[in-house]
Amino acid sequence: MNIEITNLRFTYPTGLEALKGINLTINSGEQVAIVGQNGAGKTTLVRHFNGLLKPTSGTIFIGEWETTKFSVAKLASRVGYVFQNPDDQLFSRDVLTEVTFGPRNLGYEKAKIEELVQRALSLTELTDKTDTNPYDLSPTWRKMIALASIIAMDTPIVIFDEPTTGQDAVNVARIANVIAELRNEGKTVITITHDIDFCAENFERVVALSNGQVLLDGPAREVLGQEKVLAQTYVDPPQLTRLGKRLGLKETVTRQEEFLRAIE
Amino acid sequence: MNLNRSFFVPVNSPLHNLNPLTKLALVFSMILPAFLSLPQLAPFLAIPILIAVFIGRVQKQYFNLLLKLVLPTILFMFVMQSLFLPGGETVILNLGIFDVTRESMQSAFYTVSRIFVMISSFAILLLTTHPSELMSDLTRRGLPGQFAYVIISTLQILPQMQAKAQTIIAAQRSRGLDTESSFRKRIGSLVPLVGPLVFGSLVEVEERAIAIEARGFTSKRVKTSLHEIPDPAFDKILRGILVILVIASFTLNLWLS
Repeated sequence: MNIEITNLRFTYPTGLEALKGINLTINSGEQVAIVGQNGAGKTTLVRHFNGLLKPTSGTIFIGEWETTKFSVAKLASRVGYVFQNPDDQLFSRDVLTEVTFGPRNLGYEKAKIEELVQRALSLTELTDKTDTNPYDLSPTWRKMIALASIIAMDTPIVIFDEPTTGQDAVNVARIANVIAELRNEGKTVITITHDIDFCAENFERVVALSNGQVLLDGPAREVLGQEKVLAQTYVDPPQLTRLGKRLGLKETVTRQEEFLRAIE
Repeated sequence: MNLNRSFFVPVNSPLHNLNPLTKLALVFSMILPAFLSLPQLAPFLAIPILIAVFIGRVQKQYFNLLLKLVLPTILFMFVMQSLFLPGGETVILNLGIFDVTRESMQSAFYTVSRIFVMISSFAILLLTTHPSELMSDLTRRGLPGQFAYVIISTLQILPQMQAKAQTIIAAQRSRGLDTESSFRKRIGSLVPLVGPLVFGSLVEVEERAIAIEARGFTSKRVKTSLHEIPDPAFDKILRGILVILVIASFTLNLWLS
């Protein structure tokens, strides 16, 4: 299911123009990272994908649905959105009920709901915690519950808003694993992140936003190599990329394997 | 998102530059005579209030507040008082069992004038003074910190909870929660909203308590302030004049009655 954004502009009621003409196409099954300085418009942009915000002008199509013509609850069947702070959405007594909430809202059959919930719980390694109250678990596990509760909705498009903020290495690896699994299932994953190493290792395409406009858009290696342009939106290329540049490597490297191959 | 966390209008005006205590003194030099001096005085106090609005350059916000909050309140009070105040002989209007008399209307007019003076002067104070500036000036002069904290948090809690509720609603709608259709569904959808809101607010209160305690909130020692609030001679003289004016208005009252 493609996302088609044409001339998207958005102004907040306070008069702040957050998006100034965005044109972007995200194809079905792509893994896209959105980077850029604070206030560049990243969250404002992705909140348009599931209709939480409606464009001031311009259009967004999710498949053949124009977002202005559908309610958020309806769009939730196509776009899953994991919020930054899990505590803004967890309310159930136990993990199982929490994760079942989304798919039940979407009106799937009972058997399917059970299957989706079990799959989401095993992906996020929560299977042995189903009876626990979410607030008895650590913040890192609450983050995984928030992830599971969206994955269980089985939407073709999944959005993560800064999934790795405040997470330890083990949990970042878990999140990377979830994203890889979603890719194998052919889902579109869009992630807002400030964690540029995480971005380099897990995403094929990177979109850099600056001041409400698309600054760079392309394969991760091309975008992350442009140190000077990225500096405009206060993004540093990954350490390996910068080291590769200093060593005078011909190609831009972003991941360990590439780096090792290049210096051989 | 830029939410306005108080009434304060950040412009530069002579009123904004006054010391907060002087502004508080101005407020009470309006309210005390309005309530405790001759009733005939109250309507005339509208004149200095309107002048203050323009000196403070908060016309737009003040008249907005006046239209939405003050006028409906005082109109309602005026009607109720005119209808129900007993006594008075000069009947102007007869509505079945109710008599609207000249005396009851006059008394109602004085009462709403007093209310108008009170709300307006406090409104101007809040429009031209940042709440934290007012409170830090008062704590520096000896107001207990706990008291200032209660006032500040009361002024801020509503906009903060509103912002939090907005985020929670957005998160649950993203999970397919229907908040836009039938009334029954909406009632059912309250549970997923109230839980995180109450829990989140409790966590916030605890975190705030730890944060302010970490900066020595309950310490008994004299605290210095990074933010100096000027209190020039002009302010002190003005406060002196205001005290004299208030006393004069009481004397006038005793003399004439």
